[in-house]
Amino acid sequence: MKLTIERAALQKALAHVQSVVERRTTIPILSNVLVEARGDVLSLAATDMDIAILEKVPAEIGAPGETTLPAHTLYDIVRKLPEGAQIELEGEGEGKRLELKAGRSKFTLSSLPTEEFPVLDDGELPHSFSLPASDLRALIERTRFAMSTEETRYYLNGIYLHAAESDGIKVLRIVATDGHRLAQVEMPQPEGAADIPGVIVPRKAVAELHKLIEDSDETVAISLSDTRIRFAFDHVVLTSKLVDGTFPDYQRVIPEGNDKIMEVDCAAFAEAVDRVSTISTEKSRAVKVEIDKGRLTLTASSPEHGTATEELEVKYDSDPIEIGFNSRYLLDITQQIEGGTVRIDLADASAPTIVRDIADNSALYVLMPMRV
Amino acid sequence: MTIRVLPETLINQIAAGEVVERPAAALKELVENSIDAGATQIDITLRDGGRDLIAVADDGCGMEPDEMALAVVRHATSKLPDSDLFNISTLGFRGEALPSMGAVGRLSITSRAQGADEAWQIVVEGGHKGAAIPAALNKGTRIELKDLFFATPARLKFLKTARTEINHAVDVVNRLAMAHPGISFTLTADSRSPLRYDSTQGELLDARLARLAQVMGREFADNAVAIEAEREGYVLSGYVGLPTLNRGNAQMQFLFVNGRPVRDRLLLGAVRGAYQDFLARDRHPLIALFLAAPPREVDVNVHPAKTEVRFRDAGLVRGLIVGAIRHGLAGAGHRAATTVSDAALGAMHPASGGPALPYSRGGGGGGSRGLSEEVLRFQAPLSGAFGSGGMPLPGLDAPPMAAVPIYDADEEVLAAPLGAARGQLHETYIVAQTEDGIVIVDQHAAHERLVYERMKEALAGEGVKRQVLLIPEVIEMDEAACGRLLAQADDLAELGLVIDSFGPGSVAVREVPALLGETDIGGLVRDLADEIAEIGEALGLKERLEEVCGTMACHGSVRAGRRLTREEMNALLRQMEATPHSGQCNHGRPTYVELKLADIEKLFGRR
Repeated sequence: MKLTIERAALQKALAHVQSVVERRTTIPILSNVLVEARGDVLSLAATDMDIAILEKVPAEIGAPGETTLPAHTLYDIVRKLPEGAQIELEGEGEGKRLELKAGRSKFTLSSLPTEEFPVLDDGELPHSFSLPASDLRALIERTRFAMSTEETRYYLNGIYLHAAESDGIKVLRIVATDGHRLAQVEMPQPEGAADIPGVIVPRKAVAELHKLIEDSDETVAISLSDTRIRFAFDHVVLTSKLVDGTFPDYQRVIPEGNDKIMEVDCAAFAEAVDRVSTISTEKSRAVKVEIDKGRLTLTASSPEHGTATEELEVKYDSDPIEIGFNSRYLLDITQQIEGGTVRIDLADASAPTIVRDIADNSALYVLMPMRV
Repeated sequence: MTIRVLPETLINQIAAGEVVERPAAALKELVENSIDAGATQIDITLRDGGRDLIAVADDGCGMEPDEMALAVVRHATSKLPDSDLFNISTLGFRGEALPSMGAVGRLSITSRAQGADEAWQIVVEGGHKGAAIPAALNKGTRIELKDLFFATPARLKFLKTARTEINHAVDVVNRLAMAHPGISFTLTADSRSPLRYDSTQGELLDARLARLAQVMGREFADNAVAIEAEREGYVLSGYVGLPTLNRGNAQMQFLFVNGRPVRDRLLLGAVRGAYQDFLARDRHPLIALFLAAPPREVDVNVHPAKTEVRFRDAGLVRGLIVGAIRHGLAGAGHRAATTVSDAALGAMHPASGGPALPYSRGGGGGGSRGLSEEVLRFQAPLSGAFGSGGMPLPGLDAPPMAAVPIYDADEEVLAAPLGAARGQLHETYIVAQTEDGIVIVDQHAAHERLVYERMKEALAGEGVKRQVLLIPEVIEMDEAACGRLLAQADDLAELGLVIDSFGPGSVAVREVPALLGETDIGGLVRDLADEIAEIGEALGLKERLEEVCGTMACHGSVRAGRRLTREEMNALLRQMEATPHSGQCNHGRPTYVELKLADIEKLFGRR
C-alpha cells in the first residue's frame, strides 16, 4: 500500500472516525482504524461494535492495499504535523509495519491484520428518507440535553425518533427525557418517513452524528430497521445499533389542562434565573418562582450564602402561583428557545409545567417542578 | 406405625439439643441459676473445655433436699411464682436446664439451703435420678456436670477443641459479669490463666464502669461516654465508646435486656443507626448498653437460649437507643479517643526497636494505624531542620506568623480545650499548645468535618428539596418488601423520597431528593427495602444524602498543603471546640491528637 494525502483532509476525516473509537477496550482491534486505499479514494473505518463509521477522502494512491492502524495515535500524529504537510503512507502489506512520512518526520506504526476488523452487518434497512442536515441538526440540538445519563434506565439513554401526527399534520418527531424534564421537537414529515417504527437512537450515536453534521449543509439519507439506523451524507456513513427497549408513553405525561399562562422575555428570564441561582447551593440549585398579576419574582436561598431575589415584568393574569424549579433545567430549556418570548403553562406546584417558544410551535418542553 | 409418648429421658435429651448446645450453654444456665439464687460469689471450674467437668459453686440461697429432687424434673422451677409468663424478673424461667443436663451428662447437685444445718446431694446420670444423700457444703449450691454429652455421642462429636469451647465459656461469663457488677466471678479452666472479676461496690454506674473496664479493657473505660435515658418505662443506661475507638467487627458490642445478655438485630441495627454518620460502614463501635424494660413489654420466650427478645414497641426502643447514643456523643463534643495519642506516643519512642504498643501493630485500634506513621513523618524533618540549621518552619519564620510573637502566653486561649495555635507543620498539621500538653490537628480532616456538620445542619433546617418525576418510576418487589417500604413512607418523604403503592408487588416513586441528581432509583429503593428488612430502618437514603454532603464538604474545605495564618488556625480550633462531633472525620478517623505534657516528659526520661 502506498499513498499520499494532504494533512488537512486526513485530519478532518480522522477526527470524525477516531471519536467513535473508545479510549480503553478489551479487544485490541477496536482501537484501530481500518485504512483502505482503492482507486483514488482512501477509506477510513472505525467501530465500537455498536456504532460504525466509514469516511472516504480522495487521495493519491500509488499502490492499493489495506491495513489497520491505532486510531488515536494516528490522529495525534496527523494533528501535530505542520499545516499543509503532505503525508505519505507506505506499507509492505497486511499485518506488517507501516511507515508514515511527512517532511522530515517519520513514524513506523504497527498494524493488526484487517481480517480481525469486525464488519457490522447492516442487515435489511427497509425504511429510508432524507432530511437537510440543518433540519436534522435542529432536531438533535433541541432535544439532546434532555437525554438521560442514568445507565439503569437504558431506554431513556437516547432520543426517540418516530412518526406522529400533530394537529392533523403528519410530522417526524424526536423526544428525549431523563424523567425530570422532556423535550419534544417535530418537523413536517419527509417522504418515506410515514411508516418508520419508533426507534431510540443511543446517546453516543447522537453525539457523533451531531459532530458530523455540525457544519454540513448537505442532505442526510437516513435508513433504518427496528434494530439499526444509518445516516449517510457527504462521504460519511454512520451506522448505529438502536436501543433495544420501549420508550415510555410520553404523551401521557404532557399535560393538557395547564391554564395559568405566563409569557416572558426569554433572554431576560434566563439571565435573571442565572443570576439568582448563583446563591443556591451547588448541587440542587433550586429557585422559587412566584407569579402574580404581571409580575414574576425569582428567589433563591442558601443557609450559607444568603438569599437572592429578582423581579421581572411578565404577561400573566391568572391566580397567583408559587412553584420551585431546578435552575439548571430552566436554563437548559431557555437556551433552546431562539425566539424572543417564552410561554410557560402552569397548573400547580407539583404538576408538570410546559415551556415553549411563542413564535415556534415545533418544539415543546415539559419540566417537573421541585418541591422546596 | 403406632404413636406413643416418648420416654422422659428421651424428651429431656431432645430438649437438651436446644438448651445445652455446647458446654458454654450449660455453663450459662448454671451461672444464671446462681445469679437468680442471689449469689455474690460464683466460682467456675472447667476441665477439658467443659467436656470432663463444668463445676459452678455459689453462695446463693441454696435448696432443700425435696426441692432438689424436684429441680431436676422437667418444667419444674422456682422462678415463675405467679405462673405468669409475661411477668418474668429472673434470668431463667423455663425449668428445662437441669433435667436437660441430667439427660446428657452426669449431674450432681450439692446444696445447703439458707439457715439449714446440713447439705444434701443428688445425682442424675444420663437421665436416671438417684436419691438425695447427705453431703458436706458450707453455703449455697455446688453443681458439677461431668462427662457432658456421654449419653448423646453424636453431639459429643460436634464439639470443637477445648480452647474454642473455653473461649465460648469465657464469653458467656464475660457477658453475665458485665450485667452483674455486684457479683464476683472466678473461672479456672485447664491451663488457661484464671479469670477473676472482683465484685465492685458503690453506685451502680461506677461499679458497672469498673466491671466494664475489667472485661472490655481499660481503653474502653477511658473513652466511653455514659448514657442514661428513659422513655415510657424503658430505662437505658450504659456506656458507648467514642467513634474514634472502633473495631473491624461487632464483637465488642454488648447489649443487655433486663440483665440478660442478648444479640438482637433490632438493637444492633439501632446502634449502627446511631453511629451511622461517624463511622465507615465496615467499622464498629464498642458499646455496652443495659436496657431495663417493664417485664410486660418484652417477650424473652423466643428462643430456649434466650438470646433473642421481642419488644411490644420496637420503634420506641429503637428511638430510645438512637436518641440516647446520639445525645451522649454530642455531649462528648470534640473528644477524640486517647488511644490515638497513646499510639502516637508509642510510635515516638526512641527508634531503637523498643516494644511497639499493640495498637500500632494492626489488629486492635484500627483508627490509629495511619496516624502513627503521620507522627513519624512529622518527627523526621524536625531533626533535619536542626541539623542543617536551614529549612524554616512555617509556623516560626513564615511571614504571616511574624506579626504575632510566638510566646505571648495568651492565658485565655491556652485554657481552651484545644489551646492556642503555635504553628503549622508541612502545611497540613496545626500544632497547638494547651495548658498541659500539645494538640496536633489534621487541618483538612478537621475543616471537612466542620463544613460537613454545617451542611447537615442546613439540610435539617430547610428540609430536603425534592425533584418531582415526570414519569413515576415503578419498581417491582415482593409484596412483603413493598409493605415494609410503604410503612415507612412518611419517614422517607421527609428525606425527599416520595413513594406510594402501585398495586400489589410494586411501588411507584413520585419524587426523589434533588440532591441526588439523576440516580439509579430502582437500585436505591431495593437497597432500602432490604435494609428495612434487616435492621428495621432505612439508613441508606440518609447515608446517600450525607455522602453527597461529604463529597461537597471535602471539596469545600481547606486542603492539606495550604498555608494558614495564625488567626485562621486559631479560628479553626475554636470552631472545633464549638462543633459537636468534630473529634473525628466521617469515617471515624480522628481529626486531632492530644499529647499530654506528662507523657511527653516521659518520652525524654524526665519522669
